[in-house]
Amino acid sequence: MTDTAIADPQTSADGASVGAARSRSFARRARNGGISLLWALAGVGLVIVMWELVKLLGNFIPLPLNTSDMTMPHVWTMFAAMGEPEVRGSENTVLDAVIAATFRSLLLAFGGFLIGVAVGLLLAVIMQRFLFAERGLLPFVIASQTVPLIALAPLIVGIGNQIEIGPIKWTTTYSVMFIAAYLAFFPLSVGALRGLQAPTPTSQELMRSYAATPNQTVRKLRFPSSIPYIVPALKVSAAASVVGTVVAEISTGVRGGIGRLLIEYARQITSQPAKVYVAVFGAIALGLVVAALVTALDVYLTRNLPKEKSA
Amino acid sequence: MSTATTEHAVHADGIWKIFNEGQPNEVTALQDVNLTVESGEFISLIGPSGCGKSTLLRVIADLTDATRGDMRVAGHTPPEARQQQLYGMAFQQAALFDWRSVRRNVELPLELQGWDKAKRKARALELLDMVQLADFAEHRPWELSGGMQQRVAIARSLSVDPAILLMDEPFGALDEMTRERMQNELLRIRKETGKSIVFVTHSIPEAVYLSDRVVVMSPRPGRITHIIEVPLGSERDEDTREADTFFDAVTAVREALRGRVGGSDARAKVGEV
Repeated sequence: MTDTAIADPQTSADGASVGAARSRSFARRARNGGISLLWALAGVGLVIVMWELVKLLGNFIPLPLNTSDMTMPHVWTMFAAMGEPEVRGSENTVLDAVIAATFRSLLLAFGGFLIGVAVGLLLAVIMQRFLFAERGLLPFVIASQTVPLIALAPLIVGIGNQIEIGPIKWTTTYSVMFIAAYLAFFPLSVGALRGLQAPTPTSQELMRSYAATPNQTVRKLRFPSSIPYIVPALKVSAAASVVGTVVAEISTGVRGGIGRLLIEYARQITSQPAKVYVAVFGAIALGLVVAALVTALDVYLTRNLPKEKSA
Repeated sequence: MSTATTEHAVHADGIWKIFNEGQPNEVTALQDVNLTVESGEFISLIGPSGCGKSTLLRVIADLTDATRGDMRVAGHTPPEARQQQLYGMAFQQAALFDWRSVRRNVELPLELQGWDKAKRKARALELLDMVQLADFAEHRPWELSGGMQQRVAIARSLSVDPAILLMDEPFGALDEMTRERMQNELLRIRKETGKSIVFVTHSIPEAVYLSDRVVVMSPRPGRITHIIEVPLGSERDEDTREADTFFDAVTAVREALRGRVGGSDARAKVGEV
């Protein structure tokens, strides 16, 4: 009689509803995704309408901001500016130049992000494993972020340019990537450290009772447990690597990226006021692409976790 | 003495566990504990909070070490027993890993021992079948009820086929109905596998229903005060819960916990330590 006691109808009913709930939640997520996209587009539309409304209003009443075409060009002027030649007589349009610069900055930001993530994770694992490392390193990790980037950039370029290892010559491009990585590693190392320390004492004792080695405990318990902490940290790191790239491009004066383009176009504001806005769109697109990539990573990493737990 | 201990599942000889020894906040968690768990025997440790029952289990499991005394687990020292996976462990929290399917949770100890994929999958499915969760092998733990999660945890503790099961209030977080079903389940698994079991609980009826012997412990300092044999035989089912012998044993354990031993109507055999 004890054998049948456990497989009661209630238990199997639970199981059936679990499967159904899964497919329902997938359909709901797809629908929610479509609705979110519509809202996002509506938001962009609203910004355009507001922009033009403010400009229109400025013609009739004095506003605390300059609404002339020089500082606030019409939205359609901005779009028209995309198709203009980048420099007089050039084949390339402004849009071409912005896309190329955005793509280049994206590569630099991505490189910096990857280096930052690798360094951040490594530091977190070392700090989790060795208490003296946490005590010794963590203050430096935190202090590293209090140094102003503007002060740091010339230093990195100056030191970096002297580096020459065989055929590999350090260029200012590496300095940009380094600065992006410098900003990106921090949120990840702190977030991952918290995550690696997150497993409950019971889980840790369980691993001990299985005679698991410290490496096994990191791989099979600590690292998977840290995912809900790592994912939000990745988002912050990704944003930091984009900001780091753009700021580093400006402060090191490296050519070809969106940061430098922003400065160049801003100087031309008297002749072509709409041009700088195209570069701004490029910078926004850069941020959106990185955010989309990290969100895709988020979905992948948290696919097996309960939905309320994933951040 | 140590030559005979290989026969025993657990043999504790004069075990002391003192926290902060020599400090002002010194606590004697275990005072001169002597206990032998025979091979295939089901032993419950019962007592109020702070009586050292969990500490004793943790000493057996090498999750903490004894301050003094000799502990043998299947004839080995606790660290050896742990390294050789001679025991399986279950806690009050099922502590299943959310990111693994139910089956891969059961596979975890085998994975750590380096079993190959096909073998550990077969073993996990066999165990999930035993705890009647074969249909849920590919589900996620968080999709399961508390009782089902605890059954997965038991399957996991059995995966390396240890001689001994150490259970620390495994049903403590379950509701009464689920709890009684799980007790029947555990008795069935015990009969099928012949494991020796050391079971920590707060519940007197649970201890009596499951055990061959109930070890009654008392706090400050944590020590064994009585060991009570439960004369219910090896065949136990729902009717057992309403039998006179069951109630007598419950009474005996209750009186032992109160410190009043051998009350007039306690017919269960009571051995004072």
